[in-house]
Amino acid sequence: MHRRPGKNIASSFDVIKYLLTLGGLAWLIGRGSEQLGYSWHWHRIPGYILTVSHGHWQAGPLLEGLMVTLEVSAASLVLAALIGLVTALLRLSGSLVGRVLAVIYLETIRNTPLLVQIFFLYFVMAPILDLSRFTAAVLALAFFEGAYASEIFRAGIVSVARGQWEAAYSLGLSNYATYRHIILPQAVRLVLPPLTSQAISLVKDSALVSTIAVYDLTMQGRAIVAETFLVFEVWFTLAAIYLLLAFMLSLLVRLVERLLAGRGQPAWSVQ
Amino acid sequence: MSGEGQGDIIIARGLNKSFPGPVQALADFSVTVRRGEVLVIVGPSGSGKSTFLRCLNGLEEVDSGTIVVDGIPLDENERHRLEIRREVGMVFQSFNLFPHLSVLENISLAQRLVRGKSRARAREFSMELLARVGLRDKAGSYPAELSGGQQQRVAIARALAMMPRVMLFDEATSALDPEMIGEVLDVMRQLADDGMTMVVVTHEMGFAREVSDRILFMEQGRVIEEGTPEQFFNSPVRERTRAFLRQIL
Ligand SMILES: Nc1ncnc2c1ncn2[C@@H]1O[C@H](COP(=O)(O)OP(=O)(O)O)[C@@H](O)[C@H]1O
Ligand SMILES: [Mg+2]
Repeated sequence: MHRRPGKNIASSFDVIKYLLTLGGLAWLIGRGSEQLGYSWHWHRIPGYILTVSHGHWQAGPLLEGLMVTLEVSAASLVLAALIGLVTALLRLSGSLVGRVLAVIYLETIRNTPLLVQIFFLYFVMAPILDLSRFTAAVLALAFFEGAYASEIFRAGIVSVARGQWEAAYSLGLSNYATYRHIILPQAVRLVLPPLTSQAISLVKDSALVSTIAVYDLTMQGRAIVAETFLVFEVWFTLAAIYLLLAFMLSLLVRLVERLLAGRGQPAWSVQ
Repeated sequence: MSGEGQGDIIIARGLNKSFPGPVQALADFSVTVRRGEVLVIVGPSGSGKSTFLRCLNGLEEVDSGTIVVDGIPLDENERHRLEIRREVGMVFQSFNLFPHLSVLENISLAQRLVRGKSRARAREFSMELLARVGLRDKAGSYPAELSGGQQQRVAIARALAMMPRVMLFDEATSALDPEMIGEVLDVMRQLADDGMTMVVVTHEMGFAREVSDRILFMEQGRVIEEGTPEQFFNSPVRERTRAFLRQIL
């Protein structure tokens, strides 16, 4: 990949602006906490992440919470992608029933708050279907993010050039084979960036599962705050961890994009 | 088939097709193509040439009329449509190669998925076809790395990989730079010499004159005139045909 010559300079300016903003923010918070008479106890935070006892590393509550957040996020991410893809295919299918079902699902999910969906699944559906907290949390997140993922998939699918369908059909490929081998591989490349944003949203939204007492990162943070009143330190730490997660996720996707970029580029429809 | 010649591979009767808009794309359009014949279709833009080809392999549905390809009726039965598509190869003006697949994969894919060939056997036949269109060394390239003429030759090889009984060409050279038209026409001429049944929509009158067995001139979805290349170019009957030829030659 070759870069535009000005790009590096421009991005170092961005970094400087970013650092200045952060510095300003830190100063404001420092002053504010001084006026509040807040006494910082940063040294206690590492203990909530990782401790050493009897020569063994032991995960603190924050690290345990992070693992739960990762598990919830990963499980609902996979499920959301699946739900999103199936919904997109249903919406584009020739079946009226399929299209109507897809639209009902989409409209319901997009027009109710995620918090209500989590409560509904946990307090209404979970007792009926005998679901665990964890399962209810994963299902709620997956159905919520799946609705948005399906719109992303749909946009990707319809933007693959019409000629690609026609070429595949004229070779005798079935509908399934055409999707599987021709359309989806091209669509996925197009939707990787918006899908990444959606995955990052999912990780952030997963904090809401703490409301049904799933001991994720946020829930652990709330518990520590309730116990120790380290309000500022804990919430700053949580924010930093979520930020780090999002950052690593986009790095990962950028890597995948780089791997795919060497191969042929998809055919976009000109619209 | 009663009443039809044994040698007819495409029988289209009374095709009608309209799109939203004033003109009818196909208006009571009938044609038969004999096995091994090269039929060239010419006509002004918008006269329904592409629509006819697309109806032949079920990319477009006719409003009324019957199409039978190699004894298979193109009807409501989805299986018939798939069967016909397997027997009919199509080459598009815009190539429509699969950009995310290598040249070799472009040609092998349908052999494996539709004909059920092993990877090795599909590869072997693909390399044979690539040699035939003069692109053996491009097997590993991606479409974006090829010139237009090379892409269209790959597209022809891809269609041939299904061992079709009929090949349809929809202005296969219209999107090409002039210096690349020859290489594609050469491949098409070779194919005709090998006895392939071909329906060719083209503006290349030289190709039509030399290679075709029959030329059909259509306008506004109808057959205006039909005849051998000699009749068509030297003694056209219809005034409309003469006007078209004056314009294009
Ligand atoms: N998908 C379509 N939607 C609307 N009108 C179409 C479509 N395809 C073709 N037509 C119309 O049908 C007529 C015949 O088009 P076409 O078969 O492409 O002509 P040709 O290939 O001879 O130039 C034209 O008037 C064209 O505008
Ligand atoms: Mg056309």
